[in-house]
Amino acid sequence: MENAFEIKNLNLFYSSNHALKNINMEIRKNSVTAFIGPSGCGKSTLLRCFNRMNDLIPDCKIDGTILLDDQDINQKNVNVVDLRTKVGMVFQKPNPFPMSIFDNVAYGLRCQGMTDKTQLKAIVEESLKKAALWGEVKDRLSENAYKLSGGQQQRLCIARAIAMAPEVILMDEPTSALDPIATAKIEELIQDLKREYTIVIVTHSMQQATRVSDDTAFFLLGEVIEKNDTKTLFHVPSDKRTEDYITGRFG
Amino acid sequence: MNLKKRILKDRLLNGMTYLSSGISVLVLSLIFVFIFSKGFSTLNWRWFTNDYWSVNSSLAFPEPSTNTFTAPANLGSNVSFSTRYGFAVKDMVDEANQKLILIVYIDPASPLNQTTVLTPGATFGKAQPIMINETIQKFTIMDQTGISHSSGAIIKQSAAEFINTLDTQSVSIKSAYVQTIGGGIRGSLIATLLLILVSLLIAMPIGIMSAIYLNEYAQFSKVTPWIRSSIELLTGVPSIIFGLMGMLVLYPITAKFGAKGTSVLLGALTLSIVLLPTIIRSTEESLKTVPDHFRSASLSLGANMSQTIFKIVLPSAIPGIMTGVLLSIGRIIGESAALIYTMGTFVNDNPKLLSGGTSLAVQIWSVMGGEVPNFQLASAISIVILAIVLILNVSVKFFAAKLRKTW
Repeated sequence: MENAFEIKNLNLFYSSNHALKNINMEIRKNSVTAFIGPSGCGKSTLLRCFNRMNDLIPDCKIDGTILLDDQDINQKNVNVVDLRTKVGMVFQKPNPFPMSIFDNVAYGLRCQGMTDKTQLKAIVEESLKKAALWGEVKDRLSENAYKLSGGQQQRLCIARAIAMAPEVILMDEPTSALDPIATAKIEELIQDLKREYTIVIVTHSMQQATRVSDDTAFFLLGEVIEKNDTKTLFHVPSDKRTEDYITGRFG
Repeated sequence: MNLKKRILKDRLLNGMTYLSSGISVLVLSLIFVFIFSKGFSTLNWRWFTNDYWSVNSSLAFPEPSTNTFTAPANLGSNVSFSTRYGFAVKDMVDEANQKLILIVYIDPASPLNQTTVLTPGATFGKAQPIMINETIQKFTIMDQTGISHSSGAIIKQSAAEFINTLDTQSVSIKSAYVQTIGGGIRGSLIATLLLILVSLLIAMPIGIMSAIYLNEYAQFSKVTPWIRSSIELLTGVPSIIFGLMGMLVLYPITAKFGAKGTSVLLGALTLSIVLLPTIIRSTEESLKTVPDHFRSASLSLGANMSQTIFKIVLPSAIPGIMTGVLLSIGRIIGESAALIYTMGTFVNDNPKLLSGGTSLAVQIWSVMGGEVPNFQLASAISIVILAIVLILNVSVKFFAAKLRKTW
């Protein structure tokens, strides 16, 4: 199977703090890859490398290469705006913009300069359908997005990312602020989405990782201890530390 | 013994705080009561729309006719009607406590409609009828024996006495000396509005853009703290220095636009500099309250920095920016020192962008600085300023409450 990302010798420093240490990893296309590990182990940091969100942090230095479609996204000449349309992101807390549901989904497209109303409408509808939200909001597209429930807001954020027709969707603990029912819906959605998109998800819940992911990477103190397909990693971990973590002996 | 001392000390300190707060409240209310009692009688609609300067006219009357007039119904009480000349007057007291005789009615056939200018010059002999709402200073009348008399406010006659003199003693009126009522604040109101408009038009874009630069673009730059502290320093500079600077540095700019000497534009330019710190500060504060996750979300959708700022961050910060604008308007209305050198102290009844004028606050300075300080008028203007500031403060509270809404 093809790879979406190939990470080679990646090192990341926050001023003097060595946050990611010599990461080498492949992320398979059209699969769900879960990043697990205790807080502060660098999993979110690596996720944010994939769409260069770390650029916003001062004193953040990155060495090494991340290949997306055989192009190193860490090069200076890479168009970050372009990269971020290819690699979408969903955040921990549902964060729709304080505007209507329609405008939320259309926001990215409008920023790209799309003004054709019929085209916008078509893409918004399709994206909301893919995010399994269309049925719930089709009659209230002009309402403020903050009238939706937390789970609906998070699916709206997924629809917003889908509207940009990305190759990869990054999810940073997308269900940590949601109740179990909303969480189940999102997990179901992730299963549907992987047919079209590559998904990388950071999660604190090991159950969630086993439920939704094909591959899992275990992070500890800025290092990738072990990466394997999910079943193998959880049933026959090759590293003692992985075993300790997944059996709950620490973390 | 020790306990007694403690109780005594406690009571003493408590008493001092009560006394102090009592004094401050008392002083504040005294000021309000004083200003209201002095100025409230002046407040009426005519005062808002009137000119400040009264215009005097010296007018000649046509040959006398033998018509008599009848008073129209519903003239009201305290109004005296002249059956001989066909007009009605009543007593009034102006802002400077002068007793005046005010014309309230003129019959269409009255000789008052046919007066001509008596002052030598280009307009001599031109028709200039006497109007309702003008005041009569002096009518010079001729009696049966051919002797001229003065009548009117100038010899301290009341309206009734004046009409009586006219109807019983006069054969004809030789000349009239009439005056429009002055003391109004229309000119200063217009100048103040113009000043608010122009200075906000200049200061708002610059201030908001600077705040965006400081908070969004240069957030981590090493120069930013320096810029920020110099802006803070600006808030402490006395405004008279801004006035001086405006006169010396900014005057050449307004001169390019054709202003000669002080002008509303020069005042607005100066004030916009006074306002910049306020607007930058309040905009920056409100930008800080916009959650970072909005910025991340926008950027992660492929929006660039300016799209993120102008489509997401700035709209969310509008209540805070409005607060800054309202505070600025309050500052403009209250400002006087910075305007004395730049806008002038001469009350202009028809202020234009490129001509001088006074704001309401400076008009207080002007009416109190004359040979005869007009305390009543100053108090009335103070009431207007206080009312505007009160409204602004309530609006600031309203917007601040809106700002606190949660996302």
